[in-house]
Amino acid sequence: MRLGFFLGEALGSMRRNWVMAMAAVITVFISTAILGAVLVTRDNLNQGATSLKNRVLIEVFIKDDATDAQKAALEQKIQSIPEVKHYDYISKDRALERFRQRFGDRIVQNLPINPLPASYEIQVKDANQVDAVAAKFFTDPAVDNDPGTHDGVKYAAETVRKMLGTINLIGYGMWIATGIFALAAVLLISTTVRLSIFARRREVEIMRLVGATNWFIRWPFVLEGFITGLIGAVFAAGFVWLCNWAISNWLKSSDVKFIDVRVFSMWWQSGTWPAGLLPTLAVLGAVLGALGSVVALRRYLRT
Amino acid sequence: MIVFEDVTKTYDPDVVGLQDFTCHIGKGEFVFLVGASGSGKSTLIKLVLKELVPETGRILVAGRNLGTLRRSKVPLLRRNIGCVFQDFKLLPNKTIFDNVGYALEVVGEPRRSIRRKVPEILSLVGLADKTNSYPHEISGGEQQRVSVARAFVNHPPLLLADEPTGNIDPETAVGIMQLLVRINRTGTTVVVATHDRDMVNRMRRRVLQLDNGRLVRDERRGGYDQVADAEEQEVLS
Repeated sequence: MRLGFFLGEALGSMRRNWVMAMAAVITVFISTAILGAVLVTRDNLNQGATSLKNRVLIEVFIKDDATDAQKAALEQKIQSIPEVKHYDYISKDRALERFRQRFGDRIVQNLPINPLPASYEIQVKDANQVDAVAAKFFTDPAVDNDPGTHDGVKYAAETVRKMLGTINLIGYGMWIATGIFALAAVLLISTTVRLSIFARRREVEIMRLVGATNWFIRWPFVLEGFITGLIGAVFAAGFVWLCNWAISNWLKSSDVKFIDVRVFSMWWQSGTWPAGLLPTLAVLGAVLGALGSVVALRRYLRT
Repeated sequence: MIVFEDVTKTYDPDVVGLQDFTCHIGKGEFVFLVGASGSGKSTLIKLVLKELVPETGRILVAGRNLGTLRRSKVPLLRRNIGCVFQDFKLLPNKTIFDNVGYALEVVGEPRRSIRRKVPEILSLVGLADKTNSYPHEISGGEQQRVSVARAFVNHPPLLLADEPTGNIDPETAVGIMQLLVRINRTGTTVVVATHDRDMVNRMRRRVLQLDNGRLVRDERRGGYDQVADAEEQEVLS
């Protein structure tokens, strides 16, 4: 392949048809910027959902008169449940200490005895498993259940269910939005490329008459699409990142404390998927541009 | 060089392009294709280039059967056929040099030999001073000479010209025809479809006359039409 020649052809034609090239760049810019915005939003929602999910705790209160054997059995049980991610033992003293921090010294000093029970705080791996894990302690002899109830096990059952429903719904919605926008991007880009190739169908015809192979004709167009896509996507990545950063900063400086907008990383970051904005969008834009050229050329390259 | 055997090509709503056409054009010949518009001259040229495929019959070009020629080999066929058209078909965004050079780029000619061959052929057609002009900056006759240069720069064994003088004034046309004759002298087979009566009558070459897709006359040293032939002969003598 004569990369120099093809690259020269591609750049030359972009310079000559610069209006068309600009239109294509802007199209790619808009499409990939929308995709980038969806990515960032979804990432933030996921992040929010995960942090909420992680806050779901099961508290298991222990009877003051439980025997050591019963307590040991309880701990053993917690350890044996595979869904448990992490658990903490809160002794009576620690419970009192927390109570004092929250309500002040004076109340605590007036207490004749420590009325607070010891407890385990259990985090599960997946908020969907909260119900099942909690149920395991409903009949445990060491747990401080009043007869006929299981009030010794506390967790936000209803809240968790509602929250999970909403998060899952938003997650699906975002996937659908991503799909629709990706499709729109493909259509928009291929239309633009088709338009610019239609304007040059005579050129293609002449190239064929002179005996150019299909790939010889295709390469400059493919490179052109590739470059166009790359430029549009790089601008889009920068734009989305800047918006993301600005919103995050604005929220931080304002009084809104409960929302925390994470800034999606621009570059590659291990462990995140999709990777940073720039690599994701650049690859997407370049591939879309190149593919758009190939598809649009197809009807002029039939022999 | 070109063999047609019982070739029929019809276009969609039974418009006849070529009907039971049989002819044989030998190596190194210079042949005129004459006939009214729509008589099948352009169809014939497109069939030789495999731009069109006939319904029936067999076409051989340089010994290759076009019916069994794989699609991927069509570019190779075309590289061995130079083409000149009525509307020149030059790439508008390329200089004269690059237009001619493109035919060489296509074959994978090294850059250095392109830089040598293109000026050579351009001076042959008398355009050495227009190398860096664009097609729209030069006259129709000059554009056609560029087109001839492009067709011949590869030294193909066959050169097809579809109404090469159709868009240019008679004097310039003579120059183009002389170029084609010179090319023919190097051994290249030349086939010219034309309406140019004077030219055909003056040159006295083999004439194939088409009418409604059929071959109606094949004369070794013919004139544009048979009836005028005798008169023409008298005028000349």
